[in-house]
Amino acid sequence: MATELKANGKPFVHYHAAHCESGVTSALLRDKGMDISEPMVFGIGSGIFFGYLPFMKMTGLPISTFRAAPGSIFHKTAKRLGAEFVTKKFRNPQKGMDELKQVLKTGQIVGMTTNMYWLPYLSERFRWNFLGHNIIALRETDGVFRISDSMLEHPIDCPVADLERARFAPGPANPHGYMYYLKSVNPRPDLRNASIKGMKSTCFMMLNIPMPIFGVRGMRFLAKKVIKSPDKLGFDEACRQLVGLIRWVEEVGTGGGGFRYMYAAFLQEAAQLFGSGELADLSKEMNAIGDSWRAFSVTAARIVKQRNKEKETFAKAGGLMLICAGREENFFKDLGKVVGKLKT
Amino acid sequence: MELEKEIFKDGMPKGYYTQDDNGKYILDTNHCWSEEVCVAAIVSEVRANIENARKEVIAGLKSPLCYHMAVRQMDVKFLARAAGIAVFRVKRHMRPEIFAKLKSSVLDRYAVALAVTPEELKTVPDSEA
Repeated sequence: MATELKANGKPFVHYHAAHCESGVTSALLRDKGMDISEPMVFGIGSGIFFGYLPFMKMTGLPISTFRAAPGSIFHKTAKRLGAEFVTKKFRNPQKGMDELKQVLKTGQIVGMTTNMYWLPYLSERFRWNFLGHNIIALRETDGVFRISDSMLEHPIDCPVADLERARFAPGPANPHGYMYYLKSVNPRPDLRNASIKGMKSTCFMMLNIPMPIFGVRGMRFLAKKVIKSPDKLGFDEACRQLVGLIRWVEEVGTGGGGFRYMYAAFLQEAAQLFGSGELADLSKEMNAIGDSWRAFSVTAARIVKQRNKEKETFAKAGGLMLICAGREENFFKDLGKVVGKLKT
Repeated sequence: MELEKEIFKDGMPKGYYTQDDNGKYILDTNHCWSEEVCVAAIVSEVRANIENARKEVIAGLKSPLCYHMAVRQMDVKFLARAAGIAVFRVKRHMRPEIFAKLKSSVLDRYAVALAVTPEELKTVPDSEA
């Protein structure tokens, strides 16, 4: 937590957050005077998800994402809480930077999507071509932007040229300087209704998307692939793919266990909001699912490090994923039933 | 083993949700061991790629373009999209004898996509960075 001045001289409080997008969204909402925590935003925006996209590759490794599409958390949260917001994309980088400066001068703080590789203040372990990192610009002075990156503990400086490069990174999935800010928020937001909507849409996304690569089915699909991978690809390549998978579970700002702990935190808050004991029980179950994802990532890491070769096999890692899939299927079915009984 | 501990000493801890003694969720900065393994594997792979590419360029097997692509952690498809040049042409330009004959207009496009100057694009550093 650190306090920082905005362009109009008013203070902005920077909070450390686990995930970039939900952190940015909650910071934008807090700045407008709504007291909302990061897990709450994550739950209302239906952040939790699973998708395995073998045809989309990032630096040679397939994407297996544990959260919803970039941009959707902000969009859904703002809509469900009745906030007015503006989103913009640009063809011309110069226009994009001018617009950003102009909006900052009015005292707004602006969320932006950037490519992580080109952000100069990050250290080596963060710098890879990940094209969906969200940050907030606070103010601009003498060619240097003050940036609040919710992944870091303190606000930080970033030169204009580097920020332009990060916002308009050439290549596939160019963010095109995507920026967004809130115009106004509903002074009396209906948190209960918004939470119910968020949970319902999450249940749908995890259970009912009719494609074998999304939701619980996607987990099973990937688990089977992991079990077969050493025979199909050879040990080294299979390890490479597994490392890529651990990155999506633990590394990309997930708050641990592939976002499952963060969702458990949301359910805990929701249980208090509704005074519902069932939601509190589900929160504990979600925590246990997070633990089994963590057990999977530790097993995978042992395979990569070749520790205890007889016990730690790809079959065991895939089996743990299947267990996670089975538990999550039951979990979201239960959640669907509990949500149906809740009253707004 | 060294690398794993070293890369996490950059003063940028990330947040993780854990429960405190009362069962309430708080943000903590202790990371899981598997994350160390995964990040170390990825970082060492990137470093090895860069070093391999540098050696191949010095041995005359590949063009300097290959080295700069590795530094930016791109692959041929990515670079082709970034520079707006067809994939098969980018693959051809990886051969040193063809790269040497490139027009300056093509070199400029690569330079912009890789954020280096056209002069830098034709050379690689002599020693390991």
